[in-house]
Amino acid sequence: MARDRSQSNEYTGPLRRLLTAVLVIVLAAIFLLWRIDSPRVEQFRAKVTDAVVPNLDWAMAPVTGTVNLLRDFQSYQRLSDQNQELRSELRRMQTWKEAALQLEQENARLLDLNNVRLDPRLTYVTGVVLADSGSPFRQSVLLNVGARDGVVEGWATMDGIGLVGRISGVGENTARVILLTDSSSRIPAVIQPSGQRAIIAGDNSAAPPIDFLENPELVRAGDRVISSGDGGVFPAGQLIGQIAVDPGGRLRVRLAADFERLEFLRVLRHHGTDTVINAPAVVSDAAPSGTAELPAQVEAD
Amino acid sequence: MDELSPLRLFIMRSAFVALTVVIVFFHLLPIDTQPVTLFAPQLFPPLVEIDPAEARLRDLLDLGTSRHLVGPDLLIAFGFAWSLRRPEYVPTLLLAVLFLMADLMLQRPPGLWALLALLACENLKGRSRILRDSTFGAEWVAVAILLTGILLANRFVLFIMMVPTPQLRLSLLELGITVLIYPVVVFVTRSVMGVRRAAPGELDSLGGRA
Repeated sequence: MARDRSQSNEYTGPLRRLLTAVLVIVLAAIFLLWRIDSPRVEQFRAKVTDAVVPNLDWAMAPVTGTVNLLRDFQSYQRLSDQNQELRSELRRMQTWKEAALQLEQENARLLDLNNVRLDPRLTYVTGVVLADSGSPFRQSVLLNVGARDGVVEGWATMDGIGLVGRISGVGENTARVILLTDSSSRIPAVIQPSGQRAIIAGDNSAAPPIDFLENPELVRAGDRVISSGDGGVFPAGQLIGQIAVDPGGRLRVRLAADFERLEFLRVLRHHGTDTVINAPAVVSDAAPSGTAELPAQVEAD
Repeated sequence: MDELSPLRLFIMRSAFVALTVVIVFFHLLPIDTQPVTLFAPQLFPPLVEIDPAEARLRDLLDLGTSRHLVGPDLLIAFGFAWSLRRPEYVPTLLLAVLFLMADLMLQRPPGLWALLALLACENLKGRSRILRDSTFGAEWVAVAILLTGILLANRFVLFIMMVPTPQLRLSLLELGITVLIYPVVVFVTRSVMGVRRAAPGELDSLGGRA
């Protein structure tokens, strides 16, 4: 027996070690490739996800439903109380709705009087959440809309109330949304009413901190944070949340969107703000140097 | 019963693939879309003071399913348990492919975790004969040391390559939970999946049988 084993070791030992070494080198090469040319490998990852996850949907949807059903069990117990509360809440909301409608009409009249031209309204495509990131270290979800539906990298996504994240990684049938809470998420924002600009930098906690704030004195807890738009594909003016302070004195955003259960998300279509294409003759005559720059700008766009 | 017929070998290898798919499947279910609340800072002032109506609404909408803890890394735990018991069921190539797929699906830097997990499994396979004769405690300690080792190596390489490292507290929490859950994983491996160590007299490698 012992002889047998040593013989088999002679056979399999070096070969297995060689195989292990080759595999280790291959895996290390994949990691290095990812480090050097991240976009291409991420694209490959998106393709793999695109091929695998939609095919699992037939199984994922019922299992998710069952898990959610079980999780909801404790809320069933206070169902009747909740119903009562919701009813009174709805009655209160009705008065608010009436007030909002009147204000909207008044606003429209005033805008009309002043000849204000508003941005055309954002259209959106709604996607169903297929999967999450699968790891507690990353916060992202996978939607069932993708390049097929015209989804573009960088677009904003929101639930009914507030901003949820931005598209990063588009496959043919799926698109990944990096949530505001992910540690790689950076969203430029404006804090109202002071108009301060800042960056909402996710840190894998439920309330992302605020970075690059010029003047923190002007900002108070409870101020509204809205997106400021950047890169020509991210819409401005979407609600992100409210300012709050953590025990360390750092400003954070209490997010408006409900991240507890993301089921349907809106992807906001945004084709960039229009740029001036024709240089007016008067301006070009007056400043020839300006015209030299303009075509280059148009090309860059 | 534990005869290593090619059919049984094939079945058990497929079983490990199926196990991996199930684990990844449950990871990917869209039920954990919020960050872990364990280390979340308390926010001031409370929402009730700023906006009572909003606070009431949120309270109503709250489903009471906040995410307090991270789950264990079951894939690597099962990989370790199987590698120690029956190295033939989890050949190197299979492990490498499965770990790489897990890296891709679970949004980790592809290749690195797979590489470290593979090395750890190979290390355990090499030691399986020694650990076979010792108690479960020794195995548990070896697994805990290896898990800690690859966690540190992972962070070290990511740090050197200037890739943002995952949150340390969260990683340590996951490590602790994985180590704690390991006996359960071994129990399931032994009793439910029937992956037991070969008795000392048995032929325990493919070459040996041939």
